[in-house]
Amino acid sequence: MEYRSQKIAHWYFKIALLLFVLQVIVGLWLAVNYSFTVPQWIVDKFSFATARAIHTNLLVLWMLLGFMGGTYYIVPEETGSEIFSPKLAWIQLVALVATGVVALIGFVFGWTQGRPLLEIPRPLDLVIVIGALIFLFNVGMTMIKAKKWTAIQGTLLGGMLFLALLYLFGIPFYKNAVIDWYYWWWVIHLWVEGAWELVTAAILAFVLIKLTGVERQVVEKWLYVELGLFLFTGIVGTGHHYYWIGAPSYWLWFGGIFSALEPLPILLMMIDTMMHVKQRKLKIKNPLTWTIAIGCAVLHMIGAGVLGFMHTLPQINYYTHGSQVTVSHGHLAFFGAYALLNLLIFYFAVPQLKGIKVYDDRRGKIGFWTMSTAMTLMAITFGIAGVIQAYVERVLGMGYMTAQSYMQLWFAVTLVLGVIFFIGLLFTVADLFTMRPAKAQK
Amino acid sequence: MTKKLAFWIFLAGTISSSALFLWLTLDTHRQVEVLANVDKLSERVVAGKRVFEKYNCNDCHTILGFGGYYAPDLTKVIRRIGEGGVQLIVKMPDKTFAGSRRKMPNQGLSDEEIGRLIAFFTWIGNIDNGDWPPQDSATRLSRKERRIVASTALSPGAAVFKAQGCMHCHALQKRGGTAGPPLDGIARRRSPKEIMHSVVNHADVDQDAAMKPRKDLSGTEVEAVTLFLANLK
Repeated sequence: MEYRSQKIAHWYFKIALLLFVLQVIVGLWLAVNYSFTVPQWIVDKFSFATARAIHTNLLVLWMLLGFMGGTYYIVPEETGSEIFSPKLAWIQLVALVATGVVALIGFVFGWTQGRPLLEIPRPLDLVIVIGALIFLFNVGMTMIKAKKWTAIQGTLLGGMLFLALLYLFGIPFYKNAVIDWYYWWWVIHLWVEGAWELVTAAILAFVLIKLTGVERQVVEKWLYVELGLFLFTGIVGTGHHYYWIGAPSYWLWFGGIFSALEPLPILLMMIDTMMHVKQRKLKIKNPLTWTIAIGCAVLHMIGAGVLGFMHTLPQINYYTHGSQVTVSHGHLAFFGAYALLNLLIFYFAVPQLKGIKVYDDRRGKIGFWTMSTAMTLMAITFGIAGVIQAYVERVLGMGYMTAQSYMQLWFAVTLVLGVIFFIGLLFTVADLFTMRPAKAQK
Repeated sequence: MTKKLAFWIFLAGTISSSALFLWLTLDTHRQVEVLANVDKLSERVVAGKRVFEKYNCNDCHTILGFGGYYAPDLTKVIRRIGEGGVQLIVKMPDKTFAGSRRKMPNQGLSDEEIGRLIAFFTWIGNIDNGDWPPQDSATRLSRKERRIVASTALSPGAAVFKAQGCMHCHALQKRGGTAGPPLDGIARRRSPKEIMHSVVNHADVDQDAAMKPRKDLSGTEVEAVTLFLANLK
């Protein structure tokens, strides 16, 4: 750590990790709902819908806090100056976490916007917008005052600005459900396949420069190419969500073709991460941080690239749309691309924040490998369940619950895998909270 | 490749894709007017959408394929189970799904709210959305439906039984709903005449039963379905 104001990042990380734990606990409860019959009186008070709203909103909240913390850590080093106002960074953190907590409690009592992933009620949206504005102002002012611009910080700021702007499209009430879903995807798709990818690419590039010592010019050059490809394929690629909503049928062509190209930038990112690692000029100090960087690149490719591609073509999507196949893709993509990216910046920054040069990575290793293995297997079990659903419900035309009964075994396996994932997560979180220097080796 | 060229690739990619996307967005707005029957998007339909959101239905059910995957898709729910089916399920999910392994919360919707919800579902179901989902498609018959069509000639009564939604409440061989009693071997317990009365107006036979009168059935349909049930011995 070179700058005092980077310390604020640590708090963002800690809260993000706690919310991650909570997210997985609620996720386990969702899996219980699939595997067992929950009695009516519990369902009446705490339905699957409420739990799902909590699970997904926690995901968004902890990941955004991680990204923001990561940005507060990176920007001082990129600009070579302290953060414009650490106080504002605090206010922003408190505002966002408070909003999150109020929203989650509100869900339990039925206070909701009622649209999946965007359940946070409209009055609270306002606080979120204010929080985002404070963040952008703070980061932007830091850059303006430092008068130093790098491609990495530009991408970070651009990605966050894009993210905040898109959120606005999710706030209004749309009378027409078709238009509603049309703009709902501006938030959801353009976040995860646009703005978040920008942030990810920037953070990954930053960590790679620091870890490998590969020349900035080279890393930033590839960063530009990746961004260009991400946005070129990702923006029109939004069309793969418009196949069956009542939008014009040309979306089958535009969505199909552009989204078929979407794995390309991810592939490029994976290849150039591997390349930079191979051409490194610095010694490997903390092998776990490297492992996470490569794990992130690989699972990002499998979860988002391969699993996404598999059901993005309209001919296949007709049968898999809105089935457990989507769940399979969603879980591995979020974990590979964004959870691991967050863990990467945590594992990179936390030792520095604590002044540890070489950290003891035994628990962290167990955590990383347990979580990655469990989540990869979960993607497979959800995937099998999804294929069964597509065939039994959509091809054979048997009832919804009949199809679900054939998927039961795989839900049970998923629950077990979920518990294993949770154990891995506890290792990781405990490790990050109580990180120790490694004992000197001979 | 230089960094400058890379930067131009970034700009060109972003701007071309954004421009195309915005242009398609404009055109989509124009075409949705027709595809989604915006002329039929009445205040009641909008009120129904608000009910749908108020009770967070969408985090268990999917609609147009989006939402939770925990419960059936609602895009063509009216075509699948009819207004009566929706009414029955939303009004008393605890009873409808008493025997089901998954439950639906009873959120105490008023009849007025359910009426609005039905208006919303009816409008959604008429959107021209590429005939999705496949299981509710009217043109692409599923294998099960093809079998039913093939069996119509063999047993017209079975076809009526299926087509009139009897199986939403009654089960045969453990397939079907649980709101009403299973009908396996019904002819051992009831005479053909009783069965016919039960079909047309169940209140004649049992005053407390939830089954509504089915005066909408034609004489031939009643005859066929009675014959079918009267043979379940």
